Amino acid sequence: MKKITKEDIEKVDPSKKDLGKNWIKVGMSTCGVAAGADEVYAALIDEAKKRNIEIDIRKCGCQGACSVEPLVEVNVEGLPKVLYGRVTKDVAVTILERHVRNKKLLHDYIFEIN
Amino acid sequence: MVKKDKLQADLEGLVKKWKDKKGNLIMILHSIENIYGYVPRDTSIKLSRLLDVPLARIYEVITFYNYFKLEPPAKHNVAVCMGTACYLKNAASLIEEIEKILHIKEGQSTKDGMFHLDVVRCLGCCGLAPVMMIDEKVYGKVKKSEIVDILSKYVKEEE
Amino acid sequence: MEKKIIYIRDTDSAQKERINDYFTLFSNELRDANLLEQVQLVKVADIGLYEKGVAVKIIPENIVYSGIKTTDVKEIVEETIRGGKIIKDLLCGKKSKQLRAVLKNCGYIDPESLEDYIAAGGYKALVKVLTEMKPEAVVEELKKSGLRGRGGAGYPTWMKWNFARGMNSPEKYVICNGDEGDPGAYMDRSVLEGDPHSVLEGMIIAGYTIGSTKGYFYIRAEYPLAVERVQKAIDQATSAGLLGNNILGSNFNFELEIRLGAGAFVCGEETSLIASIEGKRGTPHPRPPYPSVKGLWGKPTIINNVETLANIPLLIAGGGTKFASVGTEKSKGTKVFALTGKVKNSGLVEVPMGITLREIVYDIGGGIINNRDIKAIQTGGPSGGVIPQEFLDTPVDYENLGKLGSIMGSGGMIAIDDTDCLVDLAKFYLEFCVDESCGKCAPCRLGGYQLLQILKKISGGNGELEDLNRLKKISYAMQKASLCGLGQSASNPVFSTIRYFEEEYKRHIVDKKCPAGKCKALISFKVISEKCKKCGLCMKNCPANAITGSREAGYIVDSQKCIKCGVCFDVCKFKAVMKE
Repeated sequence: MKKITKEDIEKVDPSKKDLGKNWIKVGMSTCGVAAGADEVYAALIDEAKKRNIEIDIRKCGCQGACSVEPLVEVNVEGLPKVLYGRVTKDVAVTILERHVRNKKLLHDYIFEIN
Repeated sequence: MVKKDKLQADLEGLVKKWKDKKGNLIMILHSIENIYGYVPRDTSIKLSRLLDVPLARIYEVITFYNYFKLEPPAKHNVAVCMGTACYLKNAASLIEEIEKILHIKEGQSTKDGMFHLDVVRCLGCCGLAPVMMIDEKVYGKVKKSEIVDILSKYVKEEE
Repeated sequence: MEKKIIYIRDTDSAQKERINDYFTLFSNELRDANLLEQVQLVKVADIGLYEKGVAVKIIPENIVYSGIKTTDVKEIVEETIRGGKIIKDLLCGKKSKQLRAVLKNCGYIDPESLEDYIAAGGYKALVKVLTEMKPEAVVEELKKSGLRGRGGAGYPTWMKWNFARGMNSPEKYVICNGDEGDPGAYMDRSVLEGDPHSVLEGMIIAGYTIGSTKGYFYIRAEYPLAVERVQKAIDQATSAGLLGNNILGSNFNFELEIRLGAGAFVCGEETSLIASIEGKRGTPHPRPPYPSVKGLWGKPTIINNVETLANIPLLIAGGGTKFASVGTEKSKGTKVFALTGKVKNSGLVEVPMGITLREIVYDIGGGIINNRDIKAIQTGGPSGGVIPQEFLDTPVDYENLGKLGSIMGSGGMIAIDDTDCLVDLAKFYLEFCVDESCGKCAPCRLGGYQLLQILKKISGGNGELEDLNRLKKISYAMQKASLCGLGQSASNPVFSTIRYFEEEYKRHIVDKKCPAGKCKALISFKVISEKCKKCGLCMKNCPANAITGSREAGYIVDSQKCIKCGVCFDVCKFKAVMKE
């Protein structure tokens, strides 16, 4: 990895942080993994590829709502940012098809909306 | 005999890696525990020679910490969490059920060396209480009635 | 008109159909108003509100109405959806009571990516410290901030750092205490797993301030994922030049190494932790000398908890004064709690100091499972105490919790309801402490054992009133005479349960009854013949053959044979088995 300089750090403006418009984040701390987040993550990656759905899939830490793990946060242009709870492999696939491709929300798993 | 040779080679590599660092004993024991699942006595004796540390000092450390074991592990380690959250969600009944099914008590292994039952403090998944862990897999919100199925999965794998 | 979305949520899960009624009502009104095209209706599981019945959230305005009645629906559609006006009476005044500072990155950035952390403003505090601040200035900023240790005791962080800074020694050490041993708490694990670089940054700043070049992460071996992510973070920082020699061109050198704990609760105590890093048995030593004078390998050492260190970058970046603007007079900033037990939404919460326990349990945690009554809150784990329900409106800070006989602790917070027995709870914590006592000093080794025996006697139905005095006396002796924090606080759960729930102890001792139905020796099962439908399920399921009878005559439990497993109570579909 190349060395980071002071300027690299100083020039960052976190308020302008751009995550991009289309992304999915999976909570992958111990509590998430215990509830099956690793399977969900793997399913998202595999299925997105298989179904030719273009979306940025990332891991992140614990969001705090341990009782509804695994948590998957989805941001798709034109829709509000949605946090889905109790996501299984099958739900993950539905998220890709319904939410990401067809831009419709999955009512039963929505945990928080912004 | 292959295993023994491997053990010897591993140990020398390990000691080499840690020799120059201060306070290395616990880290070396961790590596041994990770490879064999326990700390065999002959390994301790060799380690004592390689590190030039009395055997008593190594045993003093092994016996102090819960993490290090002196007995070989069973094929599958069943750990039931008795942290506060699991305790409140009646993890005790899970332990009773497992003891009943496997005919062993906490801290014992089944005669066939298949299962070992441990009661542990907080696996850190309190939101999923009650929790049990078999080897690396964590089972959350476990019901007493599900235990037979969970355990028999591991027996079937063997057949 | 701009396209809108209405989210509907019902908090009362007991009335499953109600949300559908509202859904239909809304869609009818929207159809009548000819707005169906522009507005999408969505039923959701949660919108972050927990108590006020039916609630709706209107996007994109982000208006939240709660406690809506069927008669309000027409008005909402007319006024807000069509008219764009806000109906003040329905407005849910409450904003989320959480304040995410330490956890601001947890769940938002990729913990395995240094770029992500930097893009979120990470390592800015380090640059600021290395380029424009002298060590004295860092201490001064900490002093202004009022930051106190998040590991439990609440010792002012600036004093710790200042002692170590003032020591004249070529070798000094910084230790991050990640030996989170309190059963029921996992704040530190989440920070280490979700945002490891923030702790790294805090440690590098600590090293610069006290003049140390070497730091250790002491992490429980039971947290393999945390260990893996911290190691990854150290490797990334090292290859990026944020660790190692001449960090960011400042001539400051610092390196970090992980040391694993091995399952000993006592190693959360400073002096034991040091012994463990040195590769020895983790037994404590008397203080003074404090670690800041004579610590790891006899050299000045500061030991800070994970959460304390994660606070450092944000404190430096924003300034001490800004940090001190949150909190109470003597407790500043935020605190992360692991809210568990009988609460509806258990999980990790971060709140400003000074929030009340009631707000945490009810507004954030959503109240108690099955809407039962809360009996008490336990904070501080095995070293803490219980706070009964009448003190729920106490603002949370170090002093207040101390006055109530508990402690802030590292952040375990457990809700206890009326089905939990406090004698049993005290026994549970004591078993833990007796198990974990290192055995070096007598008050802890013997006192803890004796306390446990007395508690077992009481819950076994053999208690006598004098036992309460014995418990108090032994507890007092342990508090005063034990060598380290574990022993001194091991009796806290006993002390505080007797202080607030003496009646419950007396019920066990005098009436030989356990009101919560937890202590097995004191409960019995009985079939209530009026309710019994004579299905025989209890008899079939009884593992001890203690239930006899027939489909004609009904069933009875033989208390001699009964092993009190409770199966009959659980299987009876008609609530005809009574536990008392």
